[in-house]
Amino acid sequence: MKKIKAEKLGLTESVKRHLEAIGVVVGEVIVPSTITIHYPRERRKLPDNFRGLILFDNKACISCFRCAHICPANAIVMEHRIAYFPSIDYAKCIFCHFCVDSCPTGALRPTKIHDFVYKDMDEMVVHSEEMVETPEIVREDSFTVEYVFDGDVQLVKKKEKEELVPEVKPPERPPKVAAALNPENCISCRLCVAACPTFAISAKEEKTKIILEINVDRCTACSICNKICPTSTLGLVDR
Amino acid sequence: MPGMLEIMVQNMVNIPLIQPLVDVLLKIPVINYIVALILWRPIFAVLIIPGLGAIMLVLMIIVWWERKLTARVQWRVGPLEVSRPIGGIMQVMADGMRYFFQEVIVHRNAHAIYFIQLPILAFLPVLLPILLIPAGPVYAIRSDYAIPAIVALIALIPVVIIAMGWASNNRFAYIGAIREAFMYFAYEIPLIFAVLAMMVLYGSGDPFVIVEKQTVPGILLNPVAALTFIIATVMATSRLPFEIPEADQEIAFGPFVEYSGILFGLVMTLAYEKLYLMSLLLTILFLGGWNGIAIPILGDFMPPFWLFLKAFVFMLIISLLRSIYARYRLDQALRIGWSSILAISIISIAISYALVLTGWLP
Amino acid sequence: MTGMKEVREMSIEVPVEPPAEYESLFIPVPKEFVEDAYRKDDFIVFIGPQHPGSGHMRIIVRLKGDFIVEAIPDPGYVHRSMEKLAENRLYVQNIPLLERPAIMDFGNYNLGYVRVIEEALDIEVPERAQYLRVLLAELGRIGTHLYDAGILAVFMGHTTGFMWPFAVREFIVEALTHITGARITGSFIIPGGVRRDVDEKVLRMIGRIIFTIENRLEKFERVFIRNPTVVARLKDVGVLTREEAIKYGVVGPFLRASGVEYDVRRVESYEVYDDLDFEIPVGDDGDGYTRFLVRVEEIAQSMSIIRQVIDRIPEGDVISSDIEAISRNDIRGSFYDALAKITLPAGEYTTLTEAARGTLLFSVLSDGASNVPYRLRFVTPGWMYLKGFMESLKGERLADLQAIYGSFGYFPPEADR
Repeated sequence: MKKIKAEKLGLTESVKRHLEAIGVVVGEVIVPSTITIHYPRERRKLPDNFRGLILFDNKACISCFRCAHICPANAIVMEHRIAYFPSIDYAKCIFCHFCVDSCPTGALRPTKIHDFVYKDMDEMVVHSEEMVETPEIVREDSFTVEYVFDGDVQLVKKKEKEELVPEVKPPERPPKVAAALNPENCISCRLCVAACPTFAISAKEEKTKIILEINVDRCTACSICNKICPTSTLGLVDR
Repeated sequence: MPGMLEIMVQNMVNIPLIQPLVDVLLKIPVINYIVALILWRPIFAVLIIPGLGAIMLVLMIIVWWERKLTARVQWRVGPLEVSRPIGGIMQVMADGMRYFFQEVIVHRNAHAIYFIQLPILAFLPVLLPILLIPAGPVYAIRSDYAIPAIVALIALIPVVIIAMGWASNNRFAYIGAIREAFMYFAYEIPLIFAVLAMMVLYGSGDPFVIVEKQTVPGILLNPVAALTFIIATVMATSRLPFEIPEADQEIAFGPFVEYSGILFGLVMTLAYEKLYLMSLLLTILFLGGWNGIAIPILGDFMPPFWLFLKAFVFMLIISLLRSIYARYRLDQALRIGWSSILAISIISIAISYALVLTGWLP
Repeated sequence: MTGMKEVREMSIEVPVEPPAEYESLFIPVPKEFVEDAYRKDDFIVFIGPQHPGSGHMRIIVRLKGDFIVEAIPDPGYVHRSMEKLAENRLYVQNIPLLERPAIMDFGNYNLGYVRVIEEALDIEVPERAQYLRVLLAELGRIGTHLYDAGILAVFMGHTTGFMWPFAVREFIVEALTHITGARITGSFIIPGGVRRDVDEKVLRMIGRIIFTIENRLEKFERVFIRNPTVVARLKDVGVLTREEAIKYGVVGPFLRASGVEYDVRRVESYEVYDDLDFEIPVGDDGDGYTRFLVRVEEIAQSMSIIRQVIDRIPEGDVISSDIEAISRNDIRGSFYDALAKITLPAGEYTTLTEAARGTLLFSVLSDGASNVPYRLRFVTPGWMYLKGFMESLKGERLADLQAIYGSFGYFPPEADR
């Protein structure tokens, strides 16, 4: 426990403190310690894991719907293109990057772009094809400022333009494939056949039974069939 | 009327720098009346320096300066966007233009006539003392009782502010007006005593005599009176730490809460004009008035220039107080005004008497 | 006592009508209150939501001259019904929702909620992750105390005292950006640890940031904390005695300023606070200045905690082995598979956390089968000390309302949730 005690101020103490306060301010006038960054002529150097605009790689996406399921703000809506690709509504997005963290193939990538505007509400729903390439940015800045902490903070200005899209490696995903974990539960509803984005499951009829076949080369382990199966028949196993 | 022109030309301000131009203009039929009128000594004192023209210049620069100075202390930059190459100095003009375009709202419950006219009437007690403040050979009225008359006229300004608070018919404006009345009681007596101390020291209430006698500036002769006057000025013009009638966070701007548009612009400049007035008074009493290094090319313009410069520099320095202090409470300010400052002002009168009796004044 | 004159109160019954404005607006006090005040010649002032010094709430103040007789709070302007919203979101989707009440204190709010889930599911958090969580919590604590100091300064008209703490807070935000990627809404703490690891360069930078903050705060101390005008405004203002503070349920540094030594980090320690060496500042006077000084001392203690964390942090995983994740150092790629299907067993689970402004309570009631909380209850410190704040206003002057408001650091979005 540390005791906090505030003494009453006598006259000399009061005058001394007045002079101290005036001294500090006059010192600041003579030698200022400004920390302003003149945005937009200068831009602040941001770390590589900064959570800004999200970019999309439509070749890596496996349409697993994980990003849409995890978004706390329901900002991602999957739209059908070649397969189901995400579209982000930036009116709702809170930039928590749960979607980026959920994507098993790293199709969603973070960038350092944080200052973008749209002209109306419809434009704020960014479709997947608009997220593939870095948007056109009008760079008004000519300097990059970084706060360097060394005793007192210094603003280190460099005449360069910061690269706004950092290189991120996709996560290392252990190879898995869908398989029937509890085959006795299957009721032959064939929802899994209809739901698979890569048409990896096919059904064959054989007298009184329906046999499901999983094409191991086509399966991307997106686990949609696991979720949609009403009897928890399917699961993921290592290849 | 030919007589008028001769009267004006006889008593004209003589500035060698622009005298050739004035000679040319005096020959043109109608313009010679206008030029002679503007350069007639009394009109020049009221209109140009130290009157309206100087007030306009002061207002334009002091607001920008205060914001820039405060920003420099607070680790930031201040207004810079409006006219970036010259440091943003046009910000005040931009703000003024914005006030012109803003809608002036007179709310239903206000006393409309007083509400609208009081900010304009407020210029009256501010500009009247200018008549009495001389600047060397450029003066409007010369009188033996100029300094007491100036103090009496300055005492009229709080009345206008209280009237504005009452006309607004708003409970926050009412609280602000009451606070202004209380603050008026706090600072007026020490202010009068400080001025009295200096008048005792110099033996006259005539600014010409006072400035003549200041071979050593008054601030060195009687620094206690100077301190009292400065603190009373800070109290009178609602500067921090005594920004009590217009406490922005407590009573939402006090008597001026309901003003918008150009009326708000006028009201905001009122405090700065009062500060200018009191800095002029301080310059005459304490800083040697219009004494200064002679600049022959300016001729008659030199004394007003020095007076204005000294008053302006004082205003620039006082605006630093805004970054140092928090706001006192009303009863604390009253206590300070009636105990510490009153004691110091009585001591200053005693010092003045001592100096006069010992014949120490050179 | 003999010789004391009896004071009689005379009043004339003047039939006074309250003005028309009280009829048309919605006033959350009964009409009799207004009429009673008018008859007794008291003055009712609404320090309303649109006031430069009121925050997002309304305080209905009854004045007798310059003295406050009674203050009735009218909170709820920023109520976002977070407890109800949380019932419709997965357990892990509530993490960004529940960190929003406090501006910079997301470390403590995340901690409180995530610890509920960990306690229910019996997840063990690796030590490095615990140290990182403590780092975030203490950075948030410093940031919030600086924010409150700035608000206190601006409520008293001291603009320099407002700008300087916010500038220093910018350095803390820089540190948080390097750790989490976002400035003030980190959402970085998840059940089982933190989202990704922090590398050595960033930790060294945070050490240097703490040193810079100390330097800058020393100037701040001379111009604001020791300023005679500030001391005059805050000393002996809004006094809460020890009994009153306990009776009204005040929490946090405001309780400690009234003489009660209670800090959840010591009483029911969590994370690695048991291993760290820090002191609890306690004051005796219970006035505004002591409350402010207690928070200033807490900033110093938090900086010392951060230094110890940076020195002592062990190597290791940051994601628990009870969570199925691809990598133990980065949740990227396995966030959904690890966390989206959390279901708590049936029962009620409660945690207490020491947020910057006081005790934070999270309580989750689960029915055992659903993947959303059945009922989430969380009580923020602002809500708990609101009553004490209002009681401390009685008998003070109107100008002191802002000073006391600032000394309590009441923050309506936090109290209203």
